[in-house]
Amino acid sequence: MATASRPRRKTVTSALPARPPEGTRPEPPGEPLLRAVDVVKHFNVGVGAVCRAVDGVSFEIRAGETVGLVGESGCGKSTLARVLTQLTPPTSGRVIFEGVELTGLRGESLRQQRKHLQMIFQDPFASLDPRMTVGDIIAEPLTNFKVMRGKAKDARVQELLRVVGLNPYFNNRYPHEFSGGQRQRIGIARALALNPKLIVCDEPVSALDVSIQAQIINLLEDLQAEFHLTYLFIAHDLSVVRHISQRVLVMYLGKIVEIAPSDDLYTNQYHPYTKALLSAVPVPDPRVESQRRLVELSGEIPSPLHPPSGCRFHTRCPIAQVPGVCSEDEPPLEEKAVGRFAACHFSARVRTGLD
Amino acid sequence: MTGFVSDPVLEVRELSTSFFTDDGEVKAVRDVSFDLAAGETLGIVGESGCGKSVTALSILGLVPRPGRVVAGEILFKGRDLLSIGREELRQIRGRDIAMIFQDPLSSLNPVHRIGFQVEEAMRAHDKVAPSEVRPRALDLLRRVQVPDASRRMRNYPHQFSGGMRQRVMIAMGLSNRPEILIADEPTTALDVTVQAQILQLLRDLNRDLGTSIILITHNLGVVAGLCKRVIVMYAGEIVEEGSTEQIFDSPQHPYTWALLRSLPRVDADRHERLRSIEGLPPDLIAPPQGCKFNPRCPFRLERCFSEDPELEPVGDGHVAACWVTMKRAYAEMGAGSLVDTRPGAASGVRPPIAPETPGLSGADGHGLAPEAQDRD
Repeated sequence: MATASRPRRKTVTSALPARPPEGTRPEPPGEPLLRAVDVVKHFNVGVGAVCRAVDGVSFEIRAGETVGLVGESGCGKSTLARVLTQLTPPTSGRVIFEGVELTGLRGESLRQQRKHLQMIFQDPFASLDPRMTVGDIIAEPLTNFKVMRGKAKDARVQELLRVVGLNPYFNNRYPHEFSGGQRQRIGIARALALNPKLIVCDEPVSALDVSIQAQIINLLEDLQAEFHLTYLFIAHDLSVVRHISQRVLVMYLGKIVEIAPSDDLYTNQYHPYTKALLSAVPVPDPRVESQRRLVELSGEIPSPLHPPSGCRFHTRCPIAQVPGVCSEDEPPLEEKAVGRFAACHFSARVRTGLD
Repeated sequence: MTGFVSDPVLEVRELSTSFFTDDGEVKAVRDVSFDLAAGETLGIVGESGCGKSVTALSILGLVPRPGRVVAGEILFKGRDLLSIGREELRQIRGRDIAMIFQDPLSSLNPVHRIGFQVEEAMRAHDKVAPSEVRPRALDLLRRVQVPDASRRMRNYPHQFSGGMRQRVMIAMGLSNRPEILIADEPTTALDVTVQAQILQLLRDLNRDLGTSIILITHNLGVVAGLCKRVIVMYAGEIVEEGSTEQIFDSPQHPYTWALLRSLPRVDADRHERLRSIEGLPPDLIAPPQGCKFNPRCPFRLERCFSEDPELEPVGDGHVAACWVTMKRAYAEMGAGSLVDTRPGAASGVRPPIAPETPGLSGADGHGLAPEAQDRD
């Protein structure tokens, strides 16, 4: 262990397995860390019925960036997360992580790749085994992959607890002794144990109170800076996604309808669904609220068992041409401006306003 | 205490509710007093466990065991709801004061049709004539924008989506033309697009029917959009009350101030680090001495550790329970420049040192300067 000028940083890294030297790490925007190519996930439900949860999704995540994924419940966000982490195999399509096609791997070689892909879950109560101590929960990945044992493992667990802002001597306690925010920290420590490259955060703060939410968001940002993490951040709260992400993917009924840098997305939109979502987000400011102009969506989100023809959004879209191009032709996800992708026949009209 | 001239329909006076558990008495609500004027929209905000839902349940006499109201008065048009009989209270509940709950699925009976349940709410009270019941149920479902209402009345709750169930709950709540509607986190389980529709619906009802609304939520954005007046609760007590403009523009209690600054905003024009509130809400079996917010407060003084502040006027119709208040924190303690940008400072990444040294800086009782929380 070399002496360093920043002792805290040293103690954290000293217990970690060797990392590549600083210079070789790709900086954002860099090469894609993860690429999804035409990923499809269908579930067979009953005789002949197919739930098209994810229906042809392509995008990439660059090393070091935070990509937000938003959409209403049932749009396929969580299924996509499970396919990317190979918790469930896709029906078709490819997931390429650091040049390795995960979708082609089986057994032990896939298991070894999993070290680099970790997940943080929404429910801090259900995602921790109540019969395991916090120390065992955090050490489980280390044990599974035979990375460490004995004293080294104990030291690593204590380091991880410290890194996520918990008392390192809490390792013998059980999850029920902790509050929601503290449990989410435990889940984060477990995800960090193997030094992953990509962490998929599936609604990590939506079960938490406002003041605790900010603590966890700040923690995730600090950890990203410290350990050069890449996040896919799934949430239905657009304020949180806007805050934490550099780029945002908007999903509707199993498809990506818009991709944009997060700052641009809030200034102008190329897809009417994005516009409607943004117009509905409550803002903690009475003056802004009194000027809210809601883009109303008619009806409800259709069933993924029978997605609408043409553009899937046409049944609720305020500007759809039905019958016409919107109910007949499915719009492809195209680059409408630099870095701006949208799947809409009338994106130019959306951009200038829906009136 | 309020700036309203019209007579209040509901007056809550020094309400205290406790839960008597094996571990001790949980003081869930302490000395809560407020008025609700006719036609008013009042928001009660706070984090989970701050007592906002228990306050609502106390008003309706629905506090579950082992909890009970231990002190106070709840005057509905001058009648104390805590001293009248159970049958009398049952008559008022649902007829004059209705409540909609957060989880619409567990609040609806899965084995009865939607229409039946809306009608049952009216049949339980005699306010609506029997011949009127069915047409009114249909009318209500239409008014809350259930599409194809006459057909959907024959459906069961599982055939409705979350947003539709919440509309049914609102229709039931409104069925007897109540004077007060208490909505406890009515949109928390819903998507933003549906949330916006439900809030619009509540706004219309308040405007068109004059129904008074108490909205209980943790979402400050929702309050800003619907309510005229806001109560902020912390650890079972009201810490601040004022008009929506006062609360959002010049919050005087450090908790309100910190809460507003900890929120990410969708319309923010640049990326700023969130200022989180350190620590956790207190254990209500053994709350801290003095002001209950003192362990998490950036501006605490020496007396905050020993004396519990009362609600004091800080503006026209604006009260706060704080020895410091943000006016003074800005003037003397540099609240405006309280920016802690060091990595980890606000996320708890750095191991905290026990902060229990009151009055660190100076003997004049000004207490902690903002630097004092820059702990390492």
